[in-house]
Amino acid sequence: MKKILLTLLISISGINYANIKVVTTTTVIYDLVKEIGKDKVTVDYIARGDQDPHFVEVLPSYMVKLRNAQILFRIGMGLEMWSNQLIDGSRNSKLKIVDLATDIDKKEVPNFKADASYGDVHPFGNPHYWLDPENAKIMAKEIFESLSAESNNDESYFKKNLDDFNSRLDKKISEWSKEMSSVKGKSFLFFHASWIYFADRYGLKQAGFVEPKPGIAPSPSHNAELVQLIKSKGIKIIVMDNFYSDSAPNQLAQLTGAKVIKVPTAVYGLKGVNSYIDMIDYIINQIIQNS
Amino acid sequence: MNKNNYIILLLLLLGGNIFPQSNINPDISLIGTFDSFTNFIKGTPEYGKLNFDDPEMELFVDGYLNPFAKAAANISYENNQFGVEELYGNIVNGLPLDMQIKAGKFLVGFGKLNTVHPHAWPFLERPLFHQVFFGENGFNEVGVNFSFALPTGDLFTGLDLGVFKGKSITPLTDSNYVDRGVNPLFVGRLNTFIPIDDYTNLEVGLSGSYGAYAKGNLVFTNPNINNGSVNTFYYCYYGLDFKFKYSPNAYSVLTIQGEGLIDNRSVPRFEQFVNGFTTETPQNISNGGAFIYADYKFDKQYSFGVKYDYTAGIIDDTPTFSTLANDDKNSTRGIEAWLGYYPAEETTVLRLGIQHLSFNYANGTNRDGETTLKLQFIFSLGPHKAHPF
Repeated sequence: MKKILLTLLISISGINYANIKVVTTTTVIYDLVKEIGKDKVTVDYIARGDQDPHFVEVLPSYMVKLRNAQILFRIGMGLEMWSNQLIDGSRNSKLKIVDLATDIDKKEVPNFKADASYGDVHPFGNPHYWLDPENAKIMAKEIFESLSAESNNDESYFKKNLDDFNSRLDKKISEWSKEMSSVKGKSFLFFHASWIYFADRYGLKQAGFVEPKPGIAPSPSHNAELVQLIKSKGIKIIVMDNFYSDSAPNQLAQLTGAKVIKVPTAVYGLKGVNSYIDMIDYIINQIIQNS
Repeated sequence: MNKNNYIILLLLLLGGNIFPQSNINPDISLIGTFDSFTNFIKGTPEYGKLNFDDPEMELFVDGYLNPFAKAAANISYENNQFGVEELYGNIVNGLPLDMQIKAGKFLVGFGKLNTVHPHAWPFLERPLFHQVFFGENGFNEVGVNFSFALPTGDLFTGLDLGVFKGKSITPLTDSNYVDRGVNPLFVGRLNTFIPIDDYTNLEVGLSGSYGAYAKGNLVFTNPNINNGSVNTFYYCYYGLDFKFKYSPNAYSVLTIQGEGLIDNRSVPRFEQFVNGFTTETPQNISNGGAFIYADYKFDKQYSFGVKYDYTAGIIDDTPTFSTLANDDKNSTRGIEAWLGYYPAEETTVLRLGIQHLSFNYANGTNRDGETTLKLQFIFSLGPHKAHPF
């Protein structure tokens, strides 16, 4: 009887104990929101883990997701050019949009007129900052602040979850640093210019890219140059996001003996990669095992 | 330089960084289209020769007016003439019932394809029934459209209701044609988007449009009856459309899209004979058209496809009270195939296409089919928006 009365009282008073409704543009952010918000948030994502986050089709079903959301978290820095069309289509004037790049130390910000002759250069800098685990902590802090602002009563709950996540992440960061010390200073070939944050964190040299310029399809003449580069630098590994075609990297591998490793750069980008920590674990294990 | 001057200089320098012009300017993009073609139509000057169409251009300017509204303009250059293809304001949020309002001149949402600019189509030739029932440049009108998202849970269902001036629907060059005056027409569309799975989506839509397409003099050859009885002629379009897309990975996309239109309209016809004289009276006719295409993007840079078209009317007739949309006797069929090459995403597109048209005359007129081979080059300069489904 007491429970019924309490329920009625809550209903009449209009107090809303519903979860915070969150949508994220990527599965990496989705995982971080789940870590911080846990059962106080209802979260959904837009770009699948096996999808190139640069190019997402504007589907009405994504607008429906945003229509019911309170917060949209996105990477920002121009990565999700498609998100503004979804926001307009959602007709949700109360939607809060949070770019997680605000406090990130941005890399490769062009100090020149970055027109299309340079390929798909992001005018606000390279947006693939989530591949540096230290930046995941900055993203998590931003998520914590936004969730706390949305639900002041749950701030301590979110803080506890943030601390717990940071503690687990710090432990892994320490492990990853030790593992990656064996490849520090070595040269790698990457498919797309998405690895600067990861490479800088672990002291890897980005010797070149399979794409002649960001977003431009590999060409035979560029591949010929890369064959020389791989041989002259003694490059053992070609690292690529697993949603790209491996046709050109495999050709390079055949000609040079280098290994192609296809790794997920998003959560759920591969079977078994179900969290941010799983994702970085997988990337580092692949690099170490094949070096 | 005194201290104040230093402060002013500093503020000017900082001010330049805080409010860079590019942040407040609208997005500007320019699309160029250049076609070269040959045809295999005997007796035409283009037969078997390499012909060049004059380049066409579309200059898009769009941006936010404020947090609630956007505006856009599309300045076109076609047939060596500049024109305003679109110019509209769009209130996107903040209105009751989550309504969106679009007002100005724009491509009308009858069916799905009409609102897509031709440079974004995977094929080269405008569907035949669009040419006949909407006009050479599509259903492009001045008016206002009210858009609603219906409360259908996780399923997106949109309802659009519009009222338009009705200028583009009356391109008749008929001696009996009379200015239609103020006579708005109405357009509505109900569409539902169905996500089948993570890689497969389907959208279906129903459209309707009603209004007066023309006024005209009815002609009588009986001297006892005055000519010049002005009659208003009405049309009613019913449309069905669908779009299916299957995209199993970043490089492969299969798109199948189709639309159909049924048209009921009143037309002037010589029917009655009174004492040997002919009398023109309004009569109701039914006709229509449809297209379906499949486009398969099998690589990041390549696609191919095929489109089948049918429409009432003979496609190259001069528009009169008895031809094209007013023709329920004759018809045109078309089949088109193409190969598309996208060297760097959609900044440059090359398409090679071939279309064959065949004509069916009710009176048995024999006319050879017409085949045209076209090479199209499209470039896109400026920011590229993601394509809506």
